[in-house]
Amino acid sequence: MKFRNASQLLKGEQSQILDIDYSHPSARRIIEVGFTPGEEIIVVGKSAFNDPIAYSVRGTVIAIRKSEASCIQVR
Amino acid sequence: MFLVSLVGPPNSGKTTLFNLLSGQKVKTVNYPGATIEYYHSKIDKKFGFDVELIDTPGIISLIPASIDEIITIDGIYSHPEYGTPDLIITTVDASQLSRHLVLVNDLIEANFNVVVAITMNDILARKNFEIDFSKLSNELSIPVIKIDTLKENGIDNLVKIIKDYSEKNKNQKEIKRINEDTLALVEKYNKISEIEKKVMISKNSGIINLLNDFKNLHKPDDISLKIDAILLSKTWGLLFFFFAMSVTFASVFWVAAPIMDLIDYGFAYISEWITTLFGINWLTQLLANGLVAGFGSVAVFVPQILILFLILGLLEDSGYLARGAMLVDKPLSKLGLNGRSFAPMVSGFACAVPAIMAARTIPNRRERLLTIFILPLLSCSARIPVYLLLIGFLVPTTGSLTAGIILASIYLLSIVSSLVAAGIINKFKNSIIPNQDHSSFILELPTYKKPKFNNVFFNAFTSTKSYIIGAGPIILIFSIVLWALTFFPAGIDNSISNENGNFEQQLIENSYASNIGKFLEPAVSPLGVDWRVGVAIITSFAAREVFVSSMALMFQVNISDEDSIQKSLLKNMQKAKKSDGTKVFTTSSIIGLIVFFIIAMQCVSTLAITKKETGSWRMPILQFVIYTISAYILAVSSVNLIKFLGIA
Repeated sequence: MKFRNASQLLKGEQSQILDIDYSHPSARRIIEVGFTPGEEIIVVGKSAFNDPIAYSVRGTVIAIRKSEASCIQVR
Repeated sequence: MFLVSLVGPPNSGKTTLFNLLSGQKVKTVNYPGATIEYYHSKIDKKFGFDVELIDTPGIISLIPASIDEIITIDGIYSHPEYGTPDLIITTVDASQLSRHLVLVNDLIEANFNVVVAITMNDILARKNFEIDFSKLSNELSIPVIKIDTLKENGIDNLVKIIKDYSEKNKNQKEIKRINEDTLALVEKYNKISEIEKKVMISKNSGIINLLNDFKNLHKPDDISLKIDAILLSKTWGLLFFFFAMSVTFASVFWVAAPIMDLIDYGFAYISEWITTLFGINWLTQLLANGLVAGFGSVAVFVPQILILFLILGLLEDSGYLARGAMLVDKPLSKLGLNGRSFAPMVSGFACAVPAIMAARTIPNRRERLLTIFILPLLSCSARIPVYLLLIGFLVPTTGSLTAGIILASIYLLSIVSSLVAAGIINKFKNSIIPNQDHSSFILELPTYKKPKFNNVFFNAFTSTKSYIIGAGPIILIFSIVLWALTFFPAGIDNSISNENGNFEQQLIENSYASNIGKFLEPAVSPLGVDWRVGVAIITSFAAREVFVSSMALMFQVNISDEDSIQKSLLKNMQKAKKSDGTKVFTTSSIIGLIVFFIIAMQCVSTLAITKKETGSWRMPILQFVIYTISAYILAVSSVNLIKFLGIA
């Protein structure tokens, strides 16, 4: 089964984080703000230029760039 | 003395708690990572004991990701002035427990004495949850206090714990730096999630589906989501963004302009009063034209700075500033900047000095340096008196639509020039600013809320005050030096007297300033102006608005007129002739001057802060050389182009 990454989710779509690409330079900060394997995330909004993307995670909203969201593997 | 530090994640209510403990109002903002400076205070006297308090900028963990965070975290471990904290109070948003406990965990691991203050319990209650505080305290093995910052509940309990700690003088374990890999961080998060599940009590009677309740717990604020659906969208979001920015600049202008006129008139009145009361001699001249004029040029732009920081504070505190940063991240990143450059760039329209300091929140060094580099191009408030004077010459009726359009074009041009500069420098990539780490934009979008006006006002007031203290003395000193250059040596020459009525005329023509100006005349004549404007331009390198008071001196504004300084200066500018009999000020020469002021790097305070923030003279020297030479070339080209098109 082929997994998607968080940057491919559509607006309003909900999914669960499966894994994080730890080699990505932003991985540490992304985990620190709350994106950990097992968490549910929802795409709550995309910026006018479709990048960055705002995700609901652990009760807050975090905006991250598409390139950074691509290190979050989702179901 | 016993030192208590407040440490917490952004938007966790830390600064509000600091206000309650210190009894002193300090900056509390909604934009993640906006508090850069530390606030220091003694605990409020009403609590009846003595400890020192420090408020630190918001952080997510004890492992830094930007220069800002390196400073912050070093300061938490050991503050250069106050040392290592004896006790740390860490704030945790009750509705963000699983995220905010990460920092608590780090602090415990580093062996600090930690007390947890749980804030925002009302938000958690709205989600039908509450925290079992004694259970959480047991899980963490440290004291946990419930705080309601609005009703000030729980402060007494917290104060009692601080007092106990300060009296016990517990033996402090050795503080250690923590370092962990990313996998360990995930482990830590899992552990914290377990703790959250244990201590959260659902208030729904007859719990059937705890899993559903937990989904509700981790759901963001509904109203904010609905607002963001509009404010982040392609059409409405961008429209609102441009609307908000236009309103910001327009209101800065409309509200500030009448106050500016009043200040201008007031200082002119004081100058006149001094000379009429005490006669004309070197002392009254120093007072009237040096000191009072100097204070006037510091005071005249205070309204704009204050108003812009007020609006910026409202945008910040309401939560919109973070959205603005998100909206512009993509276009700015194309130019080598970052969405986080947005707040510093808006501040740049008030003053480059606080704006350059605000650039600390940009994690990527290259983007941070590039932001600092282009900030002086944004039209700071010190340029407004200059533009008003020059536009006043082009469009004699003040407040007309044409004048407004010209001013708006100047602002637009300043934004465009800053973006073009960023784009060009970005092309040179590593030769000018070496690329060291990868670009990133990770920003929490805080819940929209009604701004706290007290905090916003205090914040704007503090920024303005720090500006007056920072740049004021330099401007004042240069005003006095400038006066001396225009007064001596002729002013103490007894052969010049006021009897034939052209005392000031003779003063200027025989002054040091005129010698310097005439020497430099070949450099300014391509701009279509004469040596007197040259002198004014040179003095504007102290601070741009000094240009206006220099012009007033160079073109002998007769203060005994009933008009304000500006009106009589405009009259004299109309009359001014060069040595060959042609007019000094024409449409082309005025536009040339405007172009020069948009680009040129004419602020000693900005160069000084750039040196301080970048750690070397390289950046300020580059700014000075590149911008000033480009300004000169562009100004001369504009003058010739306008002449070529047949306009005077």
